[in-house]
Amino acid sequence: MAAIGSRSVSGADVSKRLYRFVRMNRMLVVGLALLSSVVLFSGLGYLFFDLELARINSAGISQSPSWEHWFGTDAFGRSIMALLIIGTPQTLLIGLLAGIFGTVIGTVMGFLAGYVRGAIDTVIRIVSDVLFVIPIFFLLIFVIEYFPVGAVWMMGVVVGLLSWMGTARTVRAQVLTLRERAFVNMARASGAGVWRIIFRELMPNLTSYLAASFVQAVSGGILFSIGLEVLGLGPANSQTLGWSIWWANDYGAVLRGFWWWWGSPVLVIVIIFLGLFLTSLGLDRIANPRLRQAG
Amino acid sequence: MMSVNGRDPVLSVRDLTVEYTTEGGTLRAADHVSFDLYEGQRFGLVGESGSGKTTTALALMRLTQAPGRIVAGQVVLQGTDLLTLSEDDMRKARLAQISYVPQGAMNSLNPVMKVGNQIANGFKDHIDRISGSEIADRTAGLLSGVGLDPGVARMYPHELSGGMKQRVAIAIAVSLSPKVIIADEPTSALDVVVQREVMLTLRRLQEELGAAVLIVGHDMGLMAQFATDIGVMYAGEVVEIGPVMDMFDDPLHPYTRALIGSLPSAVHRTKMVGIPGLPPALLELPTGCSFNPRCRDVMATCHRVDPRLAEISTGRWASCHLYGAGERAAAS
Repeated sequence: MAAIGSRSVSGADVSKRLYRFVRMNRMLVVGLALLSSVVLFSGLGYLFFDLELARINSAGISQSPSWEHWFGTDAFGRSIMALLIIGTPQTLLIGLLAGIFGTVIGTVMGFLAGYVRGAIDTVIRIVSDVLFVIPIFFLLIFVIEYFPVGAVWMMGVVVGLLSWMGTARTVRAQVLTLRERAFVNMARASGAGVWRIIFRELMPNLTSYLAASFVQAVSGGILFSIGLEVLGLGPANSQTLGWSIWWANDYGAVLRGFWWWWGSPVLVIVIIFLGLFLTSLGLDRIANPRLRQAG
Repeated sequence: MMSVNGRDPVLSVRDLTVEYTTEGGTLRAADHVSFDLYEGQRFGLVGESGSGKTTTALALMRLTQAPGRIVAGQVVLQGTDLLTLSEDDMRKARLAQISYVPQGAMNSLNPVMKVGNQIANGFKDHIDRISGSEIADRTAGLLSGVGLDPGVARMYPHELSGGMKQRVAIAIAVSLSPKVIIADEPTSALDVVVQREVMLTLRRLQEELGAAVLIVGHDMGLMAQFATDIGVMYAGEVVEIGPVMDMFDDPLHPYTRALIGSLPSAVHRTKMVGIPGLPPALLELPTGCSFNPRCRDVMATCHRVDPRLAEISTGRWASCHLYGAGERAAAS
């Protein structure tokens, strides 16, 4: 636990604190490191890598990884490395948008239902319960089959619009119990207004949950979008990681032993998921001081 | 109604009535509760569980929650009836004019907010322009005022002991120098040694502020040490009010007499006597005086007429036919 007395902050102190932070939040640090390694890979790639190699026939055909092409090339003569560099940010963008939309809508709905209650609660509950029993992935296939998404960001928004129910339900349940807690009554008795109660008393108690649910929504968004892309329902003319897998699948890369073709995008996706998972666990520790170990 | 040395009361409660609508019907958890609080007074509101103490305390803050509602009465704080204020004016009055120390120190602080920020919230809610350094100064002052290290401001509630948490709750309650402090069983979850320390702290701050304290509890021993005056509640009604020493020496109402008789005494080693029977269900109150089924001095009128709280001798009030109390006003 942090010392109680006031301390002067010197350079050595800062590094000591940093070390302590890293030691106490290993999962968060590793998770963020994994995520930033993916971002860094793509960012440096955009700066230093010849992205012309993502064009058809710009590199050799179906070559296994070599010094020249680290991740090999596909059957169209494209460098997988170039495809990964271009595809990673697109996939991350979809996940981010899905996460933001899903979490924000879910939180607002959950607070409306749990704090205002009454008729609003009933409507939100019915809508979310109805959407809940419809498998979202099939709903997405249906929606996108009839209204093909033209751009990468639309994919994220559509996924986000259809995945707020879980957050809304849990936020509602949490708000229902939190609003009756003694400290909320105490705040009310101390003259706190509705907004202060919502943002200062209730929200901070939900941070860990919201952070976890945001990260979960991001992974969910990525998972859904990749699933749709692998089925050939992705945004047209884009080069996301899911599309790479679709092409690999379409050209029988697994049967023909081109493991680097499907393996490379899968590896990046696994790193993203692992990073997101560890980040969510780490955030939970930070937001919930009781989970923190003394160290 | 009452007047001590000709002063006006800080808080004057008249006929405060709170009803709860339940499936079994409507019950009165507080029934025409009336009392006065004077500057510097420590008024102990005692009674068994369910007698309406907390209901009364919450109604004074206008924090009664559904299915309960305040159906009648006045809560006049320095000339203003709190029950007529707009919701926003009432919000401003809370903490600044009338503050609340809640029951159960363990849960009254937000678990994910540092103690200092929780104290600061009160300033931010009530003072339009206040600098960060002034908040920090005042917070440190408040913490040392309740006997805590100012460094506690940087701690989370789970790092504090129960007594420390209750001290923080008291620091919050006095942070804006209110005229009236309502303490709802402030020491219920603490051991006796800490109880005493917390009560002494509350008393010292109250004396410094010249505030009036309404303290709710059922521990008669604690009340005898802390309170200057006592109000006894039974089945939602105030049955006796008077200075604490007079009441212990010579309780008027048979219920008070039975309550005090059930206390162990170090001086008179007599057999302890309990009160026969149980408090009545508020949905099925007996006709006449609510205490009549358990009363040792029950008379014929007690079964028919509900007695009114009347001044028996100077400063001493009781609602009992033994003293010729009249009939209570018909329930409105």
